[in-house]
Amino acid sequence: MEERHVGPLTFRLDLSQPLYEQILRQMSSAVARGEIALGEKIPSVRELAQALKINPNTVMHAYKEMEHVGLTETRRGQGTFITTSQERVNQFRTELAKKVIEEFLEKMGSLGYTWSDIEQYVSQYKGGCVR
Amino acid sequence: MSKSAIVCQNVTKQYGVKRALSEFTLEIPQGRVVGILGPNGSGKSTLFRLITGLTRAEQGSIHVLGKLPGWRTNCDIAYLPDRARWYANHTVERAFRWAEQFLPGFDRATAERLAEQMHLELDMRAGGMSRGQEARLMLILCIARDVPIIILDEPFAGIDAISRERIIAGLIDHMSGGDRTVLISTHEIHEAEALFDYAVFLDEGRVLLGGDAEQLRSQYGAIHSIQQTLYR
Repeated sequence: MEERHVGPLTFRLDLSQPLYEQILRQMSSAVARGEIALGEKIPSVRELAQALKINPNTVMHAYKEMEHVGLTETRRGQGTFITTSQERVNQFRTELAKKVIEEFLEKMGSLGYTWSDIEQYVSQYKGGCVR
Repeated sequence: MSKSAIVCQNVTKQYGVKRALSEFTLEIPQGRVVGILGPNGSGKSTLFRLITGLTRAEQGSIHVLGKLPGWRTNCDIAYLPDRARWYANHTVERAFRWAEQFLPGFDRATAERLAEQMHLELDMRAGGMSRGQEARLMLILCIARDVPIIILDEPFAGIDAISRERIIAGLIDHMSGGDRTVLISTHEIHEAEALFDYAVFLDEGRVLLGGDAEQLRSQYGAIHSIQQTLYR
């Protein structure tokens, strides 16, 4: 899995997973983390396909999905831009956070931990890498 | 529903006693970049030769954009055969001039743009080129054509890493949008698999597995690991 940089964006694509989903996920995390600003222009389909060395149809698929979920806006003749709506970005942050927590809980559950074990463990990390 | 670029139904092709394709059935949708994968002798080149009408099947039917293969459908196909070479005394410029006269849909301006992008000088002679440079020239002669189907038989074989990279960049640049279908057979799956949005695995003249590349990734993992599992 090679890291590729495109302007302010960094992508790591894993060939064993659908590529368009990874582009979509990594683009929304970049927005949620503030690595790319609201209203900022993103690379064209061709530029991103070249940078990631992947099929432009796959990038196009991801871009259509990003627009569909409201992460980006396409302005005719100008290109594709990250949404200017802070409210929508907050929604993405919440959705991403939910997903991370769900994945974490599922993994802990599969290891046989109960809710109170998890609560206890997590409280030990209080003040760790989180403010 | 998307239209089909190629439809093969129960095709059998025999060379002497050897069956190159055996009751071969396959449907390739239009507008995809398709990896045609499989070991040597699995039927990849025979499939291409049937599509381009260079050989005929004993049984079954083949349709290319809804028509039987022949000289008429060949105007719609740009075909790069395995180990293709160009006239040694031609420069890139002369090859482009030749292509303009003889290859349907060849676009000189596109070819020159690709040549610049793929680092080929117009005054280079094919005879003095490295294998990788000549492969780039052959690829340009193929993809600079405005035709609905492009067939590339082993375009990366025996080529240096830089040429491979440039060929991939040229392909990506040229595949954006449109209904163009590109069939690529290759052993260099690692480098090419991210280009595919459709993949077909052949073995002993039959289709082992085929489908949308993203679905295959989600179901079975990377295209190269599917290949390793299938041909173990």
